[in-house]
Amino acid sequence: MQQSRQREKASSGRWGARLARLALGWGLLGMATALAQGAIPNATCLACHGQAGFATRLGDGSSLSLYVDARQFAHSVHGGKLACVDCHTDITTAPHPPRPFPNRRAVSLTYYQVCRNCHFEQYTRLLDSIHFTTLSKGNRNAPVCVDCHGAHDIQPPNQPRSLISRTCGKCHGQIEQVYLRSVHGRALVDGNPDVPVCTDCHQAHAIANPLARSWHLNIPQLCARCHANPALMAKYKISTQVLTTYLADFHGMTASLYRKENITPAEFTATCTDCHGVHDITPVTGAGSKVIKANLLKTCQRCHPGATANFPAAWLGHYAPSLRHAPLVYGVKMFYGIFIPFIIGGLILQILLHLWRVVVNR
Amino acid sequence: MKPKETTFVRRFSRRQRIEHFAVMVLFTILAVTGLAQEFFHAGWAAGIIAGLGGIDRTRWIHRASGWLFTALALEHFANQMLAVMRGRARPSMVPNRKDMRDAMLTLRYYLRLSEEKAAFDRYDYRQKFEYWGLVLGGTIMILTGFMLLYPMQAARMLPGQLIPAAVIVHGYEGLLAFLVVITWHIFNAHLAPDVFPGDTSIFTGKISRERMQKEHPLEYARDYPELPAEAAEPAPEPALGAKPH
Repeated sequence: MQQSRQREKASSGRWGARLARLALGWGLLGMATALAQGAIPNATCLACHGQAGFATRLGDGSSLSLYVDARQFAHSVHGGKLACVDCHTDITTAPHPPRPFPNRRAVSLTYYQVCRNCHFEQYTRLLDSIHFTTLSKGNRNAPVCVDCHGAHDIQPPNQPRSLISRTCGKCHGQIEQVYLRSVHGRALVDGNPDVPVCTDCHQAHAIANPLARSWHLNIPQLCARCHANPALMAKYKISTQVLTTYLADFHGMTASLYRKENITPAEFTATCTDCHGVHDITPVTGAGSKVIKANLLKTCQRCHPGATANFPAAWLGHYAPSLRHAPLVYGVKMFYGIFIPFIIGGLILQILLHLWRVVVNR
Repeated sequence: MKPKETTFVRRFSRRQRIEHFAVMVLFTILAVTGLAQEFFHAGWAAGIIAGLGGIDRTRWIHRASGWLFTALALEHFANQMLAVMRGRARPSMVPNRKDMRDAMLTLRYYLRLSEEKAAFDRYDYRQKFEYWGLVLGGTIMILTGFMLLYPMQAARMLPGQLIPAAVIVHGYEGLLAFLVVITWHIFNAHLAPDVFPGDTSIFTGKISRERMQKEHPLEYARDYPELPAEAAEPAPEPALGAKPH
């Protein structure tokens, strides 16, 4: 979780920070102006909005509750910190004229903009996300701040951590169900703090398009953030060689080189999730595992339809060649490790002797 | 120092010259594209791959050259077989006891244990070593190369573990071939004082009588018996860079 936050921070760059400072400056200026004009205290707002059942009719004929539970707001992360008009900046008088909205969604799509006044970094990251791309393409159901975080009832989004998958599951319910049955999801429900939740892989705000090739080619590095961490993996007796052995093999080499290329590669190469699964990752030793020996041929055949029984043995199963695992490969490596220096050393020695004799003859 | 008169004799046939040229070009392409893949983590290798237009194109070039190299090897093999069947082959490239003696004698000469220089026939032991190194190494590269190009077909006939083993063999054998060429071949064909800056006979097909007498006295005495007896005397070592040509 922390790692993903750091990543997001790093990606937003120096401009983000500058803009954030600028925004903060503007915000303070705005507050100062509001104070100068005599800001409206919350109690004034609650005189109307604190009455249960206070509502208005929207353009589409539906009713929108305008009731705010003062206790709920007081317990939210903003309770005691923000006044109503800090977010509802368009309200400058009390009572205020009604604001016409065509429908509920228009309310959210208008008011989420005020979050950026304080949370500018998160907002700019959202601009890079698949959610915002979807929104800007005209899909008004794409989530904005309030859809995930709420409005007057905002709580820390990761308390408890399992809340995150529930939040994403509000829209991505099918994936949530698959995830909750995976090795990561089951551990999360059991209270394990180490397993990744949605945002650890996808990030919280700058959510990239997971169907993009760049995303696919980055998966080994994504998984490696935990699976190449010796301290973390030792707890679960999982080898950290998974990344190095993958990168040394044909698939990993291809993925590494594709990542560096600007052109769209013509060929597909397998990364972690192509064999292990995506949201449905199971322990590799489990009977249902896609990569357990009994199922491996079927997994290979998804990309290599002509593969036969011997083919999966060509992959050494994330083991570096050793006398125990792949003795043949290990033996060949050892042989050349001795043979090459022997031959080349011998030839260079002869060359040197030849030259020495030429010098002696002169 | 210019020799009074340089006459040449024919050393290599047109086919041999073309074969050598083809091997030279294909070996260079295969080594560049192959070593770049073997050491793809290194900056220079990534530079080569990017320069060739990405890994897909690098692999395409490598595989196409591999196919051509295979065709060349088959052509060479078929041609040698044909010559043997027609009874026109001479065992000039076949290693024999004399090669071992020549190698020992040359080593003794280098170490100043002997002042006698080995007298060679058509090919000396160094040339035979390189030729058979190329034949053996080339065969290994072709076999393992096709295993890697067609792993599914290979695994139909062979145990699966042979494929990662073939990856190692192909990489290391290729590295060995490259190292032999840049040390042994470049020295013997280019940098050795006798041939510096380069032995051109494999390109022109011609060799001077003088060098023929000196480097292949046995062949010379056998194939050119009409020539004067002075040929039998070993010529003095010429100074560096003063090769008569």
